[in-house]
This record gives sequence, structure tokens and C-alpha cells, in this order.
Amino acid sequence: MNYFSIKVSNLVKQFDKKKIIKNISFQLPSEGIFGILGKNGAGKTTLLGLLLGLITPTSGDIFILGKNIRNNKDAVLNQINFQSPYVELPKKMTVIQNLFFYARLYGVLNFREVIYKLSEELKINDLLSFNYGSLSAGQKTKVNLCKSLVNTPKLLLLDEPTASLDPETSIFIRDYLINYQKQNKSTILLTSHNLDEIQNMCSYVLLIKSGKVVSRGNIADLLKKNNFLSFKDFFLGHS
Amino acid sequence: MFNRISALLIRYKTISFGSFPRLISIFYWPSVQILFWGFFTNFLVSDSSLSSLGVLNIILSAVVLWDVLFRGQLGLTMSFLEELWSRNLTNLFITPLKDIELIIALILISFFRTVIGLTPAVFMANYFFDFHLFELGIFLIFFFFNLITVGWAIGFLVSGLVLRYGHSFEELAWAIIFILLPFSCVYYPLESLPWLMQKISILLPPVHIFESMRAILIENKVYYESIFKILGLNLFYLSFSIIFFISMIQKCRKKGLLINQGE
Repeated sequence: MNYFSIKVSNLVKQFDKKKIIKNISFQLPSEGIFGILGKNGAGKTTLLGLLLGLITPTSGDIFILGKNIRNNKDAVLNQINFQSPYVELPKKMTVIQNLFFYARLYGVLNFREVIYKLSEELKINDLLSFNYGSLSAGQKTKVNLCKSLVNTPKLLLLDEPTASLDPETSIFIRDYLINYQKQNKSTILLTSHNLDEIQNMCSYVLLIKSGKVVSRGNIADLLKKNNFLSFKDFFLGHS
Repeated sequence: MFNRISALLIRYKTISFGSFPRLISIFYWPSVQILFWGFFTNFLVSDSSLSSLGVLNIILSAVVLWDVLFRGQLGLTMSFLEELWSRNLTNLFITPLKDIELIIALILISFFRTVIGLTPAVFMANYFFDFHLFELGIFLIFFFFNLITVGWAIGFLVSGLVLRYGHSFEELAWAIIFILLPFSCVYYPLESLPWLMQKISILLPPVHIFESMRAILIENKVYYESIFKILGLNLFYLSFSIIFFISMIQKCRKKGLLINQGE
């Protein structure tokens, strides 16, 4: 087992002349749920893109599950996955076609078994024959989550996993992710604007401001250390 | 009422004239029509040695072969653009999928779409007009693969441009083939073109393919020099377009364009 799920050293990302990620270094243990916090434009999505290999860093190194993503992209991508409400699946394919498609791309051997099990757990069995494009936002989120779990990722990156969902679906997804992480001893790294969600789910947070990590640590310790009573006050005070 | 109409006009003006490819397409179409029909009519009027059946056979052969190029390009470009329209590109690029695997899959789907699309048309032409495409013999297969290769080369070029520079370049997916049409000498010989256009045309593989096609159908001759030119040019253009497509993907990775890319 790798001691660190993610290790980032001196990471810089510059678009044209603008530095979006400014020399970030951090490491996250191999198991647990961790959060990235920050206001709009702080650099959260860019950071996720860098961790996923979708964005090439200007400088610095990213180690995922012990491997440098620069030289081991295929091996790394096989073990991670991603879900975002802003990224969709092919609309003209049914849900099951989409899930089979992605399972094949990840080379999942027993993909039928895996997908039927996941769809049962996520309560999307009755959606499998529907066109993805015909689903509601909540249904799409569940299907996207199912897609992000087809390769049983050791590292799961989630961009605002419960954005625009009704409270019932949000609670269902949060509970599901917490159980999933425990059962699979995996790492989940999520970004969210929902402070309650971060506080309830994450054991450790990184607070990003203007491309820099301005605060990091266990939420209770951070509040105590900085003399804040609520997480909301802490966020507003630091971001 | 005036405000609402002017608001819509401003919006449509931005769509129509707001990007270079769209602007080009607005000016290019009328010119293409004039040039194409002008050269074609000149050829028909000037060459009295051809029988009407011979003309029909040449035209239908040219139509079918030109469609190989058109379908080949469209099959590749549309399959790739579908990923963009579905906002699925991010999901695709975070899988262990390699660039070369994506390229091979796009080539294969374009091939199948072209074959499936053209087969009924060839049989219909045979039934209704007594048209025999197979008169071209083994060279039919050679022309088919070389024209579809041109289609793939254009397809990778357009897909790379759309990926890197956005939806305004989508117009090119439809228009680029017709930009090439007057230079490709599909329905008229190379000599019909003015000197400057001839100089540009000889750099394009379709010219040599359609000249070879006419040589086989009219003179019953094969010019092997043209065959080598076709192979050499196609090898160059396909390699260049694939390198260009991969470099556009890498450029998008550097610029952060692959995340949340979509409609």
C-alpha cells in the first residue's frame, strides 16, 4: 500500500502569463475523504485537472498512488476516476450502454457483474434502459457516479458531487460515498461549495486562495488553532 | 418591438460574422458555385469526343468517388465532434485511452460509415443508369482507399482545430470539402483550371486520383507516375494531419481546455 495517495511538490500552472496554481505542495494519506475548499476562481478545478492528467503542469511533480503521473499516466489513470456535474456522458446512448462503454475503456474484466451491482447500490436499475440525455440532473449525477466507480478506483476525484441536487439525493450520495470509502479503503478527494458537506464528510481539508494553499489540516484542529467557532467563519476568514 | 428585433440582429450578427471560419464560409460558397459549374460546363462543351453514356459514366464515377472522400471526412469529424457536443471529452481523456487508440477508432468508424453509406448508392446507380463502377477494376479499391485517406487527413485537421479553437471551426467540418472541390478536378480535367489554380491543385491527391480515373475510363490507360504521386502525397498529408491532431490534444492539455469542455 502507498503511504500517500497524492503527493504534489512545487506544482505551478500558468496559462499564458497568469499563474493559476502557485507553487503548491501537499500530500494526502492513502485512505480517507479529503476536501478542497476555495472560492470561485481559486484554482480548485485546475488542480483537479492537473491531478487527472487533463492539464499539463508548467512545473512541479504530481505523484498519484506512488507513481509520477508524468511518466506513468496509463498506470495511474487505470486506478483513478472522476465525476463532475459539468461533465456528461454521451446523451444518445442508454445508461447501460454508457456504463459498458466506460467499463471497456478501463478494461474491467467482469464489467457486467460490477455494473449491475453498482447500479443496484446506487438505485439506478430502473434507469439502465433510458437514454442518458432524458435523465434529470439528480439521475445524471447518480449515473455519473456509477461511471466513476466502474473501475473500482483507488483514488476518486469529485467536483461538487452534490451540486444542484435535492436534499434527499444529496444525503443519499454523501452516505453512499462515506460507505464506499470505508468498504474499499480508497481515497476520495472532493471539491464543494457546501461547507456542511465538507465538514460532515472530510477528515482533512486544503483551503486554496488565489492558487495557493493557505490552510490545511483536520477541521477540528483548524478551528481550534485559529479560534473559530464555526467552519463557515473559518472559511470566510481565510478564503 | 424594435429593441427586441435589434437585440436578435446583434446576436445573429455575432454568430454569423464573429469568427473567421464563419466569415470565410459566407464569402466562399457563391464563389465555389460559380467556379465549379463554370469549369465543369467548359469541359463538357469543349470535349466533343465523349459519348453521352461515357459522360454519364465519368460523372457518376466521379460522384461516387468524391462521396468516398466526403463521407470519409464527415464520418471521422462527426464521430469526434459528437464527443464534444455530448460534453464527454473530459471523461474520455481521463481513461487510459491513448491518443493513437482514439485515432484508430475514428478511422475505423469512418471506414464503416462510408462503406455502409455508399453501397446502396452504387447499386441504385447500377440499376437506374446502367452504371458500372467496377469498370475501374482493381484501381477502384486503390482510389477508394486513397480518397478515404484524404478524408481522414482533412478530418483530423478539422477535429484538431475545433478541439483547440472551439466551435467556430465546426463550420469547416462541412465547408472544407467544398473549399477543396474546385481544386480537386473531380468533374473536369486539370487543364481546365487557370495556371495558378493548377499549381495549387497538383499538390492535392484528389486531382491525381480523378485524373487517373478519367484516364482509365476514357483512354483505358494507367499512368503509374500519378499512382506514385497519390501514394506519396497521401502519406505526407495523413502523417501531417495525425501529428497535428495529437499536437492539438497536447496543446489543449497545456491550456487546460480538456476539462469541462462542451457545448
